[in-house]
Amino acid sequence: MIVLGIESATELVGAAVSDGEGGGAEVTVAGRRRHAECLAPAIEQALALSGRQLREVEVLAVDLGPGLFTGLRVGVATAKGLAQGLGIEVVGVTSLEVLAAAALDAGWPGEVAAVVDGRRGEVFVARYRRGPGPGGLAELSPPARARPEDLAELAAPDGQATLACGDGALRYREALAGVAPVVVAGPTLAAPSPSVLADLALARRSAGCPAVGLEAVVPVYLRDADARINWTQREATGGG
Amino acid sequence: MSGPLVLGIETSCDETAAAVLAPGPRVLASVVSSQVDLHARFGGVVPELAGRAHLELLAPVVAEALERAGAVGHPPVGAVAVTSGPGLMGSLLVGLSHAKALAMAWGVPFIGVNHLEGHLFASLLDHPDLEWPLVVLLVSGGHTMVVAVEGLGRYRLLGQTIDDAAGEAFDKVARFLGLGYPGGPAIDRVARDGDPTAFAFPRALADHGFDFSFSGLKTAVVRAVERAPEANTADVAASFQEAVVDVLVTKAVRALEASGARGICLAGGVAANSQLRARVEQACAERGVAALVPSLAMCTDNAAMIAAAGQWRLEHGAPSPLDLGADPNLELAFAR
Repeated sequence: MIVLGIESATELVGAAVSDGEGGGAEVTVAGRRRHAECLAPAIEQALALSGRQLREVEVLAVDLGPGLFTGLRVGVATAKGLAQGLGIEVVGVTSLEVLAAAALDAGWPGEVAAVVDGRRGEVFVARYRRGPGPGGLAELSPPARARPEDLAELAAPDGQATLACGDGALRYREALAGVAPVVVAGPTLAAPSPSVLADLALARRSAGCPAVGLEAVVPVYLRDADARINWTQREATGGG
Repeated sequence: MSGPLVLGIETSCDETAAAVLAPGPRVLASVVSSQVDLHARFGGVVPELAGRAHLELLAPVVAEALERAGAVGHPPVGAVAVTSGPGLMGSLLVGLSHAKALAMAWGVPFIGVNHLEGHLFASLLDHPDLEWPLVVLLVSGGHTMVVAVEGLGRYRLLGQTIDDAAGEAFDKVARFLGLGYPGGPAIDRVARDGDPTAFAFPRALADHGFDFSFSGLKTAVVRAVERAPEANTADVAASFQEAVVDVLVTKAVRALEASGARGICLAGGVAANSQLRARVEQACAERGVAALVPSLAMCTDNAAMIAAAGQWRLEHGAPSPLDLGADPNLELAFAR
């Protein structure tokens, strides 16, 4: 089964083609904040380098976030457009799952706290460990929005050995420093990888997890749009 | 004219739109899903909400346009055109990314279109036999400009607003008068029962040149109402509208006379204003030139005009590269 992974939830944007048996190609661009410019060419190049045509793709995997709103829009709109044009379905995976899968693949034996930089002084965090489910991930705490100063408590609530990975963990490593059982992973595990995303989606699809229709492919924002927040606050305070 | 069907996609502001165009150009289907209700309670378009809504709405809107057009082949169309700017960044990115992906999936050319050029093509869809050169008065919530169009693709900017767009002034004054959002239709409606001579609001820059200024007008309305709180809202609305329309028509006629064009063409959301339409038609009739007033559907943002501009660009140039980005401040390419 050929899967195309589309990744643009964080500063890294890219695409991976995988046949699930070790064959494929991955193209990524980091640090340029040019998701809209880079994603389509990355998809074309990943396909060309892997010797595949777009019409051979059977599964579209996309990172639903949480992450950069702009990046998510580019990635999810691209996935929807491809799915609509090719008449295939989409498997959505969260950025935090992709980060955790990479850390567990790398051999970390304990728990993983995946932390994505949410900007505006916030992070998105979830905890995982190796599990029996498809892709080998078990969720210990669901994706949530948090303040960096609460990271230490959230990353290892019971003081267990934990690897904190992701650009949020790197940025706020001081908040995690001195928390004895927490190790902060380096830049290698800082961004969700398109090929890990592709293989995770493939594992889930192979295990019978259903792909979803286009209408159900919605980013995981974890933060309301600004206007809505202000409106709610105004109503709550009775002001106008 | 022969050629492939073109799918147009437009998501630059708060309308999610898709259209299928046959050569001619002939509109086979044009679907517009407005987010007006979503933004109304905020009194204006909220960019983050608009971007999220486009992401939900665009795929079904595209599907509906293809279905209505009977575009069921493989590929269903021969090209995909999309607005790449100007507009709201988060909104533009959704249409741009979706359009690129469709073009890749179908193996057809992808064309980025300037939204302003799209508005210039809107008249062509209503009046396929129009004759150049024309003066186009492009008036919307984001733009107010007078353009001399010597032919398709050949534009000369004569003047534009130095502060607020006319549509923006309508929205701000409507909000101040408590008439709701969007302001254009609200003021148009209320003004029908008002006296346009009740208040002598300023006509900024009316005496010379082609540029516009509307920020002072908005301030003048606020001051007038503060001075006369008992004033009839219909009179205020009618007088404000009269001031805006006066300036717009004055500049368009001046441009007509300076450029020797064969007529005046209206474009953009404010072109839906009944008073502006009537006054342009009257001014053109008096001078024996053509008044090209678009249908209401072609005034507001739609994807048929984007498909038309894309179709023309494809015939007269090259497709866009897949690394094309969205440009919120994209300008029309003017002849020097």
